[in-house]
Amino acid sequence: MFLNSIAVWRISSFIRKEFRFNLTKNLCCKGIYDADTIFALSSGHGMCGVAVVRVSGPASALVLQSMAGLSRGLPPPRTAVLRNVTDPRSQELLDRGLVLWFPGPRSFTGEDSAEFHLHGGAAVITGVLQALGSVPGVRPAEAGEFTRRAFHAGKLDLTEVEGLGDLIHAETEAQRRQALRQMEGELSRLYQGWSQRLTRSLAHMEAFIDFSEDELIEEGVLNEVDLSVLQLQREIEGHLQDGRRAERLRSGVQAVIAGATNAGKSSFLNLLCQRPAAIVSPTAGTTRDVVETSLNIGGFPVVLSDTAGLRDTGDSVEMEGVRRAKERVQLADVTLVVVDSTQLPQNYQSVQNFLTDHLRSILPNEDDLTASLQRCLLVLNKRDLLSRRTVDGLQKSISQAEGLPLASLLSCQTGDGLDDFLDVFQDRMRTLCGDPLVGSVSLTQARHRCHLQQCVRALSQYHRYRDVDLALAAEGLRLALTSVGRITGKVGAEQILDIIFRDFCIGK
Amino acid sequence: MLLRRSKLLLSPSSRAAGHLVCRYFDVIVVGGGHAGTEAAAAAARVGAETLLITQKIKTIGVLSCNPSLGGVGKGHLVREVDALDGLCGRAGDWAGIHFSILNRSKGPAVWGPRAQLDRDRYREFIQSELLSTPRLTVLEGAVEGLLVSEPNPDQPGQIKVTGVRIAGGAQPINAKSVILTTGTFLSGALFMGQTVSQGGRMGDPPSCSGLSHTLRETLGLKIGRLRTGTPPRIVKDTVQLSLTKVCPGDKQPTPFSFLNKETRCKPEEQLPCYLTHTTPGVERVVKEGLHLNAHIQQDTKGPRYCPSIESRVLRFPGREQQVWLEPEGVASDLLYPQGLSMTLPPELQLRLIREIPALKQAEIRTPGYGVQYDFVCPTQLSPSLQVKKAQGLFLAGQINGTTGYEEAAAQGLWAGVSAARAALSLPLLALSRTQSYIGVLIDDLIVQGVTEPYRMFTSRAEFRIVLRSDNADLRLSTRGFEEMGCVSMQRYKEAVRMTDGLRDAMAALESISMSCTKWMEKLGQIHLSKTKSAKLNGLELLEYKDVTFEMLASAFPGCLSAYLEFSKRLKIEGLYRPHYMMQEQEMERVRKDENLSLPQDVDYLTLPISLSMEAREVLDRAKPHTLGAATRLPGITPSAIVHLLNYVRKTDKEREQERVHI
Repeated sequence: MFLNSIAVWRISSFIRKEFRFNLTKNLCCKGIYDADTIFALSSGHGMCGVAVVRVSGPASALVLQSMAGLSRGLPPPRTAVLRNVTDPRSQELLDRGLVLWFPGPRSFTGEDSAEFHLHGGAAVITGVLQALGSVPGVRPAEAGEFTRRAFHAGKLDLTEVEGLGDLIHAETEAQRRQALRQMEGELSRLYQGWSQRLTRSLAHMEAFIDFSEDELIEEGVLNEVDLSVLQLQREIEGHLQDGRRAERLRSGVQAVIAGATNAGKSSFLNLLCQRPAAIVSPTAGTTRDVVETSLNIGGFPVVLSDTAGLRDTGDSVEMEGVRRAKERVQLADVTLVVVDSTQLPQNYQSVQNFLTDHLRSILPNEDDLTASLQRCLLVLNKRDLLSRRTVDGLQKSISQAEGLPLASLLSCQTGDGLDDFLDVFQDRMRTLCGDPLVGSVSLTQARHRCHLQQCVRALSQYHRYRDVDLALAAEGLRLALTSVGRITGKVGAEQILDIIFRDFCIGK
Repeated sequence: MLLRRSKLLLSPSSRAAGHLVCRYFDVIVVGGGHAGTEAAAAAARVGAETLLITQKIKTIGVLSCNPSLGGVGKGHLVREVDALDGLCGRAGDWAGIHFSILNRSKGPAVWGPRAQLDRDRYREFIQSELLSTPRLTVLEGAVEGLLVSEPNPDQPGQIKVTGVRIAGGAQPINAKSVILTTGTFLSGALFMGQTVSQGGRMGDPPSCSGLSHTLRETLGLKIGRLRTGTPPRIVKDTVQLSLTKVCPGDKQPTPFSFLNKETRCKPEEQLPCYLTHTTPGVERVVKEGLHLNAHIQQDTKGPRYCPSIESRVLRFPGREQQVWLEPEGVASDLLYPQGLSMTLPPELQLRLIREIPALKQAEIRTPGYGVQYDFVCPTQLSPSLQVKKAQGLFLAGQINGTTGYEEAAAQGLWAGVSAARAALSLPLLALSRTQSYIGVLIDDLIVQGVTEPYRMFTSRAEFRIVLRSDNADLRLSTRGFEEMGCVSMQRYKEAVRMTDGLRDAMAALESISMSCTKWMEKLGQIHLSKTKSAKLNGLELLEYKDVTFEMLASAFPGCLSAYLEFSKRLKIEGLYRPHYMMQEQEMERVRKDENLSLPQDVDYLTLPISLSMEAREVLDRAKPHTLGAATRLPGITPSAIVHLLNYVRKTDKEREQERVHI
């Protein structure tokens, strides 16, 4: 039953990467004049009641005229009209549906656009798309091209584009909800608020620098700035320490399967993704490199990696595999440590010590073993090879053990115990990603994180120079403002002066 | 009457206006204020035969308003004008009677060198300086209009300005370039109480309406209106100075000019300023007199930062305001009340000032008044301060919507350099925002335009850490000699010596590298916060508050004592060096954008690139010269910039291909 809900979402992540790549590429070097008219199916693929096909570009009017029988005149802007949709080459009737005309610049892309709301059958959609492709100057859109055009026309700011891009390609429910929230501008509002407070602090600082010699601007102004900067710094740091939750939700939770050789790691991977993604054999050291696959666990995206079994080996290829495995474990959000339960000591009392030692050998423990343990889930495999009594005894002893990660006893061979494991895993996902509809808005983009980190660094420059050189302290605030401005849009000198003259009586 | 005759141009006997032997000059400057004098001197330095026309020769170099020069931001401009061999810095050193560095405690990047001036000495210095400038002729007269002709088709512009018409029937004078620096005289109106009279300054005749007409009608320029004001002058003997706070000048005056080691005024001869405050009574008088105050009732835009006492009281009621009583000169019996600019009727002015305890028995010598005047919207200018539409016409000073002597001088100097270069068929140059406050000033004016009189602040310069008043010579003097041609050999040599000396000294400092522990052993009484093992070189050490170059030089006399004369500047360089490195990258980006020029003949409304209508309108109005200027326009989105960039690159490429085909 659960296995049905596992959908491979690797494709979506590919498309998303592609979209972002195209966006950057086009921003940097291509796309001067969008002379082409583009079209795409804007509603989802597959069976649906109504399908929406969007057209954008200078030939949109021509498309409507030649395909919706509107050669005598276009309908009023943004008004739905019921028309026969025909193939312009053969005049064959394709469908009867609603047609809308959005003259630029008041359209989503800022260009002339049109929409066809059709019946959702595959034959209808294919027919209309083929017909569109036959109109001169009209071609299928690239991934994200509508959004890019909207962005270029100044219709969206960068955070909104990112939110929209994600929405278009959000495959899992949780991702979609978060993308929606971002597009609504909640994140924009948060960053905008920070930007405004920074602008004000900077303005007050600048007022003190430029005017305090002639005017009554007390040093108290700077104390207020100190407080405001400190408060802001705390808030941004708090935002950054959201445990990378939202970012994880976007790019997937990194889950790494680790353990000794022949514990059944690759079988476990294959079980989870319901296909033979990794080669499985009874020979120890079969998996030498990292095998990666993408899964949807209860609506949360997971990137699952299988790694080489950890053992001392003389084989140089396997040694490299072991090194990579260890590296993966270091970076993992969750480590799934697979243990061959037939190797556990018969004496239940010593199971806890055995497992603790075993985990210590697998998990990175230079810095903080407790932290590594918290990131870990134990998978005790090969349950089918144990007697009923042993299973009961084991289950009792691990449930009573203290200081051990949550453990699930299962069999990759038979699938027994998998549901229990998935419950545990899903709970962990929820903790790691958070529910996008609950709690504070969190970071979704590595880009945002980077700018905010710069901002926090710049704010500490403020504190560092506050008593030494006010020009350098102000420089810190400026850098901080620029960093936040990279997310929300820039702040000019005039805006700073506006605040100065609003808040102070400058009279020289 | 000629102040100075040029041997080549005039016979010794022809000294009156209208008797010029030569009726043809390279450059004509109209106006003898701060912009005009700098413009005329700069044009002559570049090598142009220059004529300065002013209504009254004896008012050349007059300080019309406050008797002071420099300040925060403005001091930077004075130092930069000096670095380009302008007049005002040296004039300030000559005429200063009270010197102070403002913002002393806030960091060298925002230090504001400032001086109170003796009005007579300042005027005398400027006049004698102009008198001894080669290639410069001064003529008394009123300019009635501009001579225009068909434009040169090879250059942008719809019309060509070829000279000026003088009032009184004299023959017109031709020139390749004309610079207008008419200040507040362009359709100027003076306000005091309910009386309004024509003019740009009390006591001077109004300028001809013909010039305003030419700009408006013949050239079709967009004109706006601004206002400013000046306070009453108070008789010093009638002020109870014991009720004020006495503020002396710096113990050691710092000269404005890089050429001067000291000021003319000796430290102990400096005159003090006096600080006092307004009372609720002042507010009462303002409110009572409101219906008698024509200037305040008008809605013409005044500055937010130099408002009259009336607007300060109205905008921020219930506050005590500072009033500075400033000396007007060594021999003057007047005080200038900074902060009390007003346009009330004279009897109310007297009542108002007497509400201030120290001024209870004060007498007014001349009452304050307001001025409203026309300005040309500066977005119609190119980076050389040439009017885009009119070949050969340059504007500088208040006519461009600025306020302040320093802003006027800076523009005047640049217009002078540009006009001379244009006249001599040399390529026009642009000053970058990344290199000078003058560049910031001009870029702000021509890109953003003005909605109120524009004044310089340090917060307008995004590269404030680099553009400091202490290093204006390094930034500008060598370029001024090598590229612009407005800097004398003497100054050039001094700037080169300074540049080389600082460079060698910094290299010597960097060559000394030790652990913090070692440094502390060597220097004794210093505290270093760095971890003890980290190595620091001498330059990095100067970043620490209590480390001076002198300390290092006495520890390493062998390699450092030769540079003791630079010690103050080295300390500042050391403090800002790490940040300079960081800003350098950003400055490079801005410079790159500034190097991408946008064609001036583009019709943005129909340009076949993807731009929003709003962006098209903004671009069409502003016609930015460079991509850098476009990025600073309000309402231009990053995506619009991307499209413009692509457009520029594409057209550049197409042009290249065309060239290949030819």
